[in-house]
Amino acid sequence: MYPKVKAKNLSYKINEKKLFQNISFELFPSRAIHIQGDNGSGKTTLLKIISGLTRQVKGDLEIKLDKSLCFLGHKNALKQYLTVEKNLYLLDVMGHPDLTKHLTQFGLDRSLDINLSNLSFGQQKKIALLRVFLNDSDLLILDEPCVGLDHQSQEYLCTFLNNELTLGKSILFSSHISLDINSEILNLNRQI
Amino acid sequence: MNVIKLELLKLRSKSRGWLGPILVFILILVAFPLTLEVSNKDLGQSFFSVLWIAMLLVMMLATEDIFLEDYNDGSLEQFAISNINLSYVIGVKIFIYWLLIGLPISLLGSVFCMGITSSTYLAIYIFPILLITSYIFINVFSFGNALSLTKGSVLGTLVTLPLLLPLLIVLGKVVISINLNLNYLGFVALLLGVLSIIIFLIPLIISYIIRAHLE
Repeated sequence: MYPKVKAKNLSYKINEKKLFQNISFELFPSRAIHIQGDNGSGKTTLLKIISGLTRQVKGDLEIKLDKSLCFLGHKNALKQYLTVEKNLYLLDVMGHPDLTKHLTQFGLDRSLDINLSNLSFGQQKKIALLRVFLNDSDLLILDEPCVGLDHQSQEYLCTFLNNELTLGKSILFSSHISLDINSEILNLNRQI
Repeated sequence: MNVIKLELLKLRSKSRGWLGPILVFILILVAFPLTLEVSNKDLGQSFFSVLWIAMLLVMMLATEDIFLEDYNDGSLEQFAISNINLSYVIGVKIFIYWLLIGLPISLLGSVFCMGITSSTYLAIYIFPILLITSYIFINVFSFGNALSLTKGSVLGTLVTLPLLLPLLIVLGKVVISINLNLNYLGFVALLLGVLSIIIFLIPLIISYIIRAHLE
């Protein structure tokens, strides 16, 4: 079995300030890594490097995916001026057999015709999370996925992610909120 | 095909994005004959200067937030990591802007041309020129907007304005050639040549600029 993500001595600096250096890890199928660290320790940057949005200053990164990766960052990639239904259409999840189940679980099944701008921050986050719930990827990269979520939705997310692990998917996530996900810990505070 | 549908849905739902520039264009061309005290003949002669400049300014206005909104809400991040080619997405986005803004403006420009110059012949001949020119303008201004994406200003667009000056000179020559029944098709071919290069090159350059901004 080969790792889906293999990072060796990854380093990143902004101007002359070292954000992190010599980060090495391997992420195998059915495994999750919880990236921890203080604010400004480089969690988001590391996730962006792995998703291909940013390049590391030093080090090697190998990513071997059979399908694609699913990334959920700080930004939800939703349109405030569109209804929930049209946003789901933009997310390309309309017609997915599991959509109604997740919408009902999140209490959003009767909000399809409401403009996104009229929903709360947490409800918008739930819509954005549907990208993750209805993914067809083998690597999930989640940056603070629980921000704004109520306790019940956090538990639902954890159950879902644990189930994804049993399906052979790999998960890389950062969170300041403690999550019940079977994961290894990568602490960026200890890496400088 | 899906990207085309999505971009169309986004721009169509944002009426201020496409209707605003069209209304500004109409306003300029309606105000033009009202604010000049000249004969009809003189009006017809100066009409084309106003037409080109109105189109230039309106396209600048229309493309002001062509990428900004997607950048701010994270949509560009999703495009950048998806399997779809980013320059293709940008090309589609520019095409949709041309379809919803450039095409109606070209039609309106042609109608105004007929109304002000009282020449159907001129209006028919100017229509393809307007179609091609509006597409070139949208491409060039999109490039400018991509340059100043994180600066939140029109500086990038203003920097690209001089790139369009040769095109404005050509457009002046086109009107003369139509009036004198000279080499009109040659100008159309020239503009199409410029467009055919721009249509592939600019989305590609913009995709690199956007990736740099996303870093």
